[in-house]
Amino acid sequence: MTSITIEQAARTFGSVRAVDGVSIAIRDAEFFTLLGPSGCGKTTLLRMVAGFCDLDSGRVLFGDKRIDTLPPHQRNTGMVFQNYAIFPHLRVGDNVAYGLKARNVPADARADRIARALKLIQLEGHEGRWPHQLSGGQLQRVAIARAIVIEPNVLLLDEPLSNLDAKLRIEMRGEIRRLQKTLGITVIYVTHDQDEALSMSDRIAVMRSGRVEQIGAPAAIYQTPATPFVAKFVGATNLLEGTVASRSGDVVDVTIAGGNLRVRSTTAQVDQRIEISLRPEAIRLLAPGDAVPAGWATLSGTLNGVEYLGAVTRLYVRLADGAPPLQLTVSVAPADSGEIRVAYDPASAAVWTAGQ
Amino acid sequence: MKMLLRPISFKFVIAAVAVVFLLVFFVGPVLRVFSASLYDSAGTTLTFANYTHVLSNRFFLDALRNSLIIAAAAFVFTILIGVPFAFFVARFPVSGKPALLALAVLPLVLPSFVSAYALVLMFGRAGVVTSELRNLGIPFGSIYGTKGIITTYVLTLYPYVLLPTMAAFKSIDMSVEEAAQNLGASSLRTFRTVTLPIVLPSILAGALLVFIEAIENFGVPFVLAEDKPILAVETFKLFAGETATNPASAGVLGMLLIVCTTIALLVQRNVLARRHYATSAKRPPPLLPVGPCMRCLASVYCWTITAAALVPFVGVVIISFLKFNGPVLHYQFSLDNFAQLLERSYRPLANTLFLSTVAAILATMIGVPIGYLLVRQPSRLTALLDIVATAPFAVAGTVLGIGLVLTFNSGFLILTGTWVIMVIAYAVRKLPFSVRSSVGIMHQIEGNLEEASINLGVPPFSTFLRITIPLILSGIVGGLVLSFVTTASELSSTIVLYSGPWTTMTMAMFQALEGTSAGEATAAATILIVFTVLPVALVYRLLRRYELSTL
Repeated sequence: MTSITIEQAARTFGSVRAVDGVSIAIRDAEFFTLLGPSGCGKTTLLRMVAGFCDLDSGRVLFGDKRIDTLPPHQRNTGMVFQNYAIFPHLRVGDNVAYGLKARNVPADARADRIARALKLIQLEGHEGRWPHQLSGGQLQRVAIARAIVIEPNVLLLDEPLSNLDAKLRIEMRGEIRRLQKTLGITVIYVTHDQDEALSMSDRIAVMRSGRVEQIGAPAAIYQTPATPFVAKFVGATNLLEGTVASRSGDVVDVTIAGGNLRVRSTTAQVDQRIEISLRPEAIRLLAPGDAVPAGWATLSGTLNGVEYLGAVTRLYVRLADGAPPLQLTVSVAPADSGEIRVAYDPASAAVWTAGQ
Repeated sequence: MKMLLRPISFKFVIAAVAVVFLLVFFVGPVLRVFSASLYDSAGTTLTFANYTHVLSNRFFLDALRNSLIIAAAAFVFTILIGVPFAFFVARFPVSGKPALLALAVLPLVLPSFVSAYALVLMFGRAGVVTSELRNLGIPFGSIYGTKGIITTYVLTLYPYVLLPTMAAFKSIDMSVEEAAQNLGASSLRTFRTVTLPIVLPSILAGALLVFIEAIENFGVPFVLAEDKPILAVETFKLFAGETATNPASAGVLGMLLIVCTTIALLVQRNVLARRHYATSAKRPPPLLPVGPCMRCLASVYCWTITAAALVPFVGVVIISFLKFNGPVLHYQFSLDNFAQLLERSYRPLANTLFLSTVAAILATMIGVPIGYLLVRQPSRLTALLDIVATAPFAVAGTVLGIGLVLTFNSGFLILTGTWVIMVIAYAVRKLPFSVRSSVGIMHQIEGNLEEASINLGVPPFSTFLRITIPLILSGIVGGLVLSFVTTASELSSTIVLYSGPWTTMTMAMFQALEGTSAGEATAAATILIVFTVLPVALVYRLLRRYELSTL
């Protein structure tokens, strides 16, 4: 059970700053996710913790013990690789036993721990199977068993679900999370899948170009994104840029491509360029005669497109004056495709100074 | 500090051992040949006189020209023969494909000078076929000189083009060709504009190896050139000449050889570097649905070439069991040839087995770790290692042999006349193959298997022993056997380096054919063939996995 501190970690490959001064403090028994697009440095950061990538500068600590100077085989991290990396020449049992043998665990204790680990991942009795006899999902479980059976200080998962089909992926999310809670182990989880990150994590670090954009709980990341990049990368959003036209109290009116948007901001000043993120589900479709909630702003436009997504329907609304179409999600699509009116709470929009 | 050193130590040790080995036994000797070419006959004054002397000599210029013409012809003809062969095998339902492939690769491991000698036995002045034709009153042209040498090269070297080209034809993702046809290209146009450009680097890479082999080969021209000067042969003659040895001029010719082959090797590496787009197919192309007529034509074509390449070897084996009366052949079964050959001594056979075994093990022990490093720990250091370990391919065996003699016939380490110097020469010469093959094997193993092992607490070297080695073992054994069989028929460095007690089977054969004991020569050739084909047949399944075509 270990807390992890990453201090100013940096690594350059050629002219690319893969990891550019990242500092993260991960709590004991926390499920911590590194989320970002490919090439953002999340895997490099994970491999720094595992010891497969040297740091140009900075430190990594488990508890208060510095570990980035240790060779990888002495760090006691359990890593689950994207393609599982199951040893093809060893049976399932020997794969799981591999780390225990390296730690000189006596044979009887070993067998016991292997059986328990396999039970935990619901593959009890599969010790004698060969890897090529297993499905992708089963290989994934063996990889997890092999990593946790050594009772690592920290479990490192590198996009472990990306090779599984959609249904199994969602099943495994719950299973990995349950396992982590059962074992009370610290986890660093790398993914580019925002749904995975939001549904599994205690906290998420959103990364971009080797830097951390924001660290926070899933709800905080989604609802109060620190930067336009976070808003765009995590969940769908309407990202708009405009100029503050006027202020009345906490609310400013923003001119956007000729249109007008009202958002809550205490800091934006008149004539300043700002960026606004307005989540599709924060926008409500108004039926004719509906009352506008107090303090909400309204917009009208024409329906520009409809995407049926099953549980919800996504609408694209072209505002009257040629601003980029606004997307919103509703549970029931409007009957006619003419003029429609929408309302939103100005406080639900996230606002930044443009060009940050 | 201790912490910082540890992760690099394993890598460092391998690289250091390999680098030291290559510096001492390869780079040093080659430089020694170079320096020999720069001194006057007394060995004291630095001079370019040797170069001006050689390069103004009509005879040596002819040698250079002949070698280049022959190599260029081999380059062109192996492409013309090998590419259709590769296409048919990759895309047509050719009859008896597994057997065809097994037999088609054999010429790569069989000694090419045996094939040349078979040509002489059958079509030479007193050849079996020639005499029969003459008896029937049909005149038959000479097979000596350029014609015979090119024929032998094409028949023995075409698998260098066949194998990589076939692999390339098979590894094109089908959707690429489908896309071309979907965009309106006919199948012929698709082949010309999509398929061929994609496999072209593989074709060229293979054919350039043919070019290099053809330039540096010693045995084939030695048997077939007669009085036509050939660079590799003249180099040897100048060094170990019957009249007067001339290491300086030999050095100049050796440098010419190295320059030619090095340029070809650099071009080949460059071509290979562009092969990136021929990545492994997600959906390999299916066999083309062709009519019985096309299928028959393709089968006949492939089988004819395969047979033509193997006929000389079969011919030698048959002849070795016939009775010779001096040089005159009688059609009568007899084991006399073998009896005569082995009566004198079993020593050459024992020597060949011993030397080949030790050399193959040495080449493997150095080559496999280098291949491992190249794939797993690419860096500037390993890139340099790659170049140095591949370079022996560009140095003719005669030149390496001369360099080794010049370097180790005096000083603190005297090796000339010993078996050690022969083993070293063989190991250096086989190293590029060993490295290339282990690179090929390593590429087939997912890299993070080792990381997984290290992550579970096993240090890098133990991981190498417990994970990497078991996974690449079949490939290593395959490579070991290939090194063994090709060393057994090694001639060009042997002829420079061997000494009386360390006469090999190849040398026994050469001495026999230089004299008049044609029977003994065929017996020796047969023994060489057996010791080549037998091990290869035994591990054929391993060898197929390990891809002969990776160099």
